[in-house]
Amino acid sequence: MYFDVKGKRVFATTGGKPFDNSKPVVIFLAGSGGDHTFWGLHARFFAFRKYSVLCPDAPGHTHSAGPALGSIEALADWLNEVVTALDIKDLSIVAHSQGCLVALEYASRFPHKLRSMSLITSGLATPVNDYLLKAANDNPAAAVDMMISWGFGPAGHLHQGPIPGNSMARVGYTTMWRNSPRALAADLHACNDYRNGKAAAAAVQCPVQVIIAGKDRMAPAKATATLVEHLPDPVVARISESGHMLPLEVPDQCRTLLKDFIFLHNPASQA
Amino acid sequence: MSEFLKFDTLSLHAGQTVDPVYGARAAPIYQTTSYVFPDTDTASSIFNLERGGHAYSRITNPTVGVLEQRIAALEGGSAAVCTASGMAATFCAITAILGQGDHIVASTQMYGGNISLMKNTLPRFGITTTFFDPTDIDACRNAIRDNTRLIYGELIGNPGLDILDLEAIANIGAEHHIPFMVDATFNTPYLCRCLDYGANMTIHSVTKWMGGHGNAIGGVVVDGGNFDWGASDKYPTITAPYAPFSGINLWEEFGPSAFATRIRAEAMRDIGPSMSPMNAFLLLQGIETLSLRMDRHMSNTAAMLEFLQNHEQVSWVNHPNLPGHRSHRLAQKYLPKGAGSIISFGVKGGRDAGKAFIENVELASHLANVGDAKTLVIHPATTTHSRIDAGALQAAGITEDMVRLSVGLEDIADIKADFETGFRAAARLAKG
Repeated sequence: MYFDVKGKRVFATTGGKPFDNSKPVVIFLAGSGGDHTFWGLHARFFAFRKYSVLCPDAPGHTHSAGPALGSIEALADWLNEVVTALDIKDLSIVAHSQGCLVALEYASRFPHKLRSMSLITSGLATPVNDYLLKAANDNPAAAVDMMISWGFGPAGHLHQGPIPGNSMARVGYTTMWRNSPRALAADLHACNDYRNGKAAAAAVQCPVQVIIAGKDRMAPAKATATLVEHLPDPVVARISESGHMLPLEVPDQCRTLLKDFIFLHNPASQA
Repeated sequence: MSEFLKFDTLSLHAGQTVDPVYGARAAPIYQTTSYVFPDTDTASSIFNLERGGHAYSRITNPTVGVLEQRIAALEGGSAAVCTASGMAATFCAITAILGQGDHIVASTQMYGGNISLMKNTLPRFGITTTFFDPTDIDACRNAIRDNTRLIYGELIGNPGLDILDLEAIANIGAEHHIPFMVDATFNTPYLCRCLDYGANMTIHSVTKWMGGHGNAIGGVVVDGGNFDWGASDKYPTITAPYAPFSGINLWEEFGPSAFATRIRAEAMRDIGPSMSPMNAFLLLQGIETLSLRMDRHMSNTAAMLEFLQNHEQVSWVNHPNLPGHRSHRLAQKYLPKGAGSIISFGVKGGRDAGKAFIENVELASHLANVGDAKTLVIHPATTTHSRIDAGALQAAGITEDMVRLSVGLEDIADIKADFETGFRAAARLAKG
């Protein structure tokens, strides 16, 4: 669906059901260079179980009007504008990678609006190496190659996956590639510049779930350990065989973890 | 800095998770119609496209799934759907996006079955086709109409062997927002990945070089994931709600694999041209050695081109790797490893001499197939293209004296010796 936020068009998928803010809402936030496509196998599951779902394309990404926003703080403000525009009340956020930084920042600024938050493959900060930043600026094709190469674990590189006939690595590649070349660069700079993760984590008040990938090369064990350390009493789960693109690589395990957590903390009637 | 697995590695491993129960290294043959669901919630979520998984082998099967994901990986596509044959793949791919009143622009140089499908069968369903000479890009552009919804061609035309200019045709498609589908059977992804040059989806008869052993019929549609279906309202089967699945919008929910999902959700479910698990297993064995076989096909083809060009019983030889071929430049651009292992040539003495040649070779098999490990010969005018009219024969570049040779993997000296026997018989006929 399309809706307006401060005069700019925003696109979001809703998991195959019309958006209904009278239900508990799950917002899915993609990582750098990603869009609504990233969450297809998760959003539809919740939408058909009494939740209302929103997978927005961030400004300047795929179907949403630009320009891309240049900081995590600006994206958190934009997320609040989305929540306000749609008058969302019982909100859970599921976020991946860069989306986790946005979710943390949002949760710290608007703690009363959140019922739960699920953070997948992230640290408190996401420093980006100079080589990738330069490629994102000058050679987006090379940057997408690096993101996909580093992002997927061994199963992704072998084009394995639970969706018969689908190569999730190629789906990820194509999603990132069809995005505006400027979107990935803006995202990576926003990640690299973000410094408020520690304070934001400390300010979180809602129940938090952290899902860690055992073969993550982009948010490695040390980074995720720091995130876990600074969050108030998080529920931590680890999927050992996955790489950073965990929601695409192991959607069934990821969905089960999300379901158990969100059903508990933001229950829908007769879910 | 980035590192992806290479073609030969993907040929052996892509798409397969080692059997978690017994540790079988080869992909197991899941010869089953159906699958036990662990609970009702899992069952309903598979039926509702909320998760992957298998319900019934007409729609998905684990062995077939390995083959699909392997081919998607080799082609650089986001998804693949295997079918019972190459023709089934073509029909399913076309009808996934076209319906009553829609129009195709297609190359004249195609397998006779493709031409017949578009000329005779699809018009019964309200889908018409305008054919264009694949060497005439303007003819392709001029054939586009308001209701054109697909551009279709074979990279290596059959049997004239003209090469489609992929980038030029893809640009025409992009200008008019029309997807470009390529039958890539003759090239395989080892010789050319058409998606890298702007094609939006590929079709294969995997019966041919991909399987390579002449023991299993099969087809595949590969979704390149690179066409923006939502940029216009021309493709409602992808972008409008699909009633059988709770009004799902495939483009929104599945993005880069929306086209493949439509084939899976509609054609495999409502029509059911499924590949058998056993065939998928046999085809997987072939793909494991695809690059090795294709290299040998190409080296034997090069040797046969030299042999035929210098043979006194041969009136002409046609192959894109020959400098005089009108598609030679395009062959060098798109097919640097070799422009396939099909050679067409004329036997001096015309139709009867050609017939004598075919009836006197012994190692080469006279049959209606290409891309076998074994060398094959046939007379297209009286067999594969016999159901198309004289005008279409001429447009496809088929002459009465033409022999189509599919160069196999035998020792090249033995192939040449066999052909000498055939040519001697043709010569005796000419003298007598």
